[in-house]
Amino acid sequence: MDRRNFLKRGSAAVAGAAGALSLPVLSSCTSEAEAAGSRLEGKKWGMLIDLTRCREGCTACMDACREENNVAYHGDRRWDVHWIRKATLHPHEESAGLEEKEVLLMCNQCDEPPCAMVCPVQATYKRPDGIVLVDHHRCIGCRYCMLACPYNARFFNWKENPEWPNKEYPRRSHGVAESCHFCAHLIDKGGRPACVAACERSGAGALIFGDLNDPGSEISRLVAAGGAKRVREDFGTQPKVYYLGL
Amino acid sequence: MKRSTVLTEKNRGAWATVFTVIILLPVVFSILKPLWAAEPEVFLDPPDPRWESCFRPKEYMRFHHMDLLKEARSQVIRDGSGNGITLAGCGDCHRNREAFCDRCHEKASVSLDCFGCHYYLTPSELEELEGGGH
Repeated sequence: MDRRNFLKRGSAAVAGAAGALSLPVLSSCTSEAEAAGSRLEGKKWGMLIDLTRCREGCTACMDACREENNVAYHGDRRWDVHWIRKATLHPHEESAGLEEKEVLLMCNQCDEPPCAMVCPVQATYKRPDGIVLVDHHRCIGCRYCMLACPYNARFFNWKENPEWPNKEYPRRSHGVAESCHFCAHLIDKGGRPACVAACERSGAGALIFGDLNDPGSEISRLVAAGGAKRVREDFGTQPKVYYLGL
Repeated sequence: MKRSTVLTEKNRGAWATVFTVIILLPVVFSILKPLWAAEPEVFLDPPDPRWESCFRPKEYMRFHHMDLLKEARSQVIRDGSGNGITLAGCGDCHRNREAFCDRCHEKASVSLDCFGCHYYLTPSELEELEGGGH
């Protein structure tokens, strides 16, 4: 065997051995991932915000969110974190005839989440049931997701939350990014987001939460009926938060 | 050359005995130590009698609790399920965090990040609770 043949055969043998070794590893990874996702597979949680029923000056959903998720509030807009907030839309000069409007803003739980795409450590990711959430153990605080989010829905914990209203849910240490996660911990127990429950308790019933994959759910019927809009659909982010009366 | 007067043909056996005794002294010492040593101090807070229903045997938990917690962590976050182990569940039996978690980790120079975000009764809160109970 000359040198050329020796190298050829040798490299083929090494490549073959490497392939044979890596194949079982790869296949075991995928089967594990599939098994892990199976529990949440099939659902697609979404929210519909009926602005015609949302009351001006009411803060029930925001308060409930802070109470449930220990969202940091320092009373200083530089450090405050908002998972759900109200913004006032001022009509543009050209759009005469429109009135000022209060709009609830929150994480849009995109089906194509830009925040998860840019996360360098896969701390932000989309669960099989469509919920976008942050693994705070992994987050390195680079704030890429905040830049990527076109809805300004992501916030950074510049400081630790001084209060801890809900001891059963962890708070966040400083240096991690976060946003609404549809109260995934409550959904896993068969519940629904705290803001939705609070809105219903207040009597407004402006927040409707449900499974978009289930054609019989209230949210699916309302979306199918037409008139429900999503914010900046042209971005292609496929938000799962719909608005009525926007 | 002058011959050694300390180690000679005659006293070689005596020297060998002395050498063996010195070598074996620590072994004998450690075997006999329990005879006069005091009872070892209880290092960790004894858990609730319910400890028998711990997730795994005591010996396993001692060395692998961090693996179980990490496994639970990723399962809860990624899949919404978990393996049944939660920090709150630990706290049901091991009430005193300072005596249970902190003391051992301090000794082993392991810094714990858990309690910045996850709630576990602090000793002062525990005192308050138990004070209120009596």
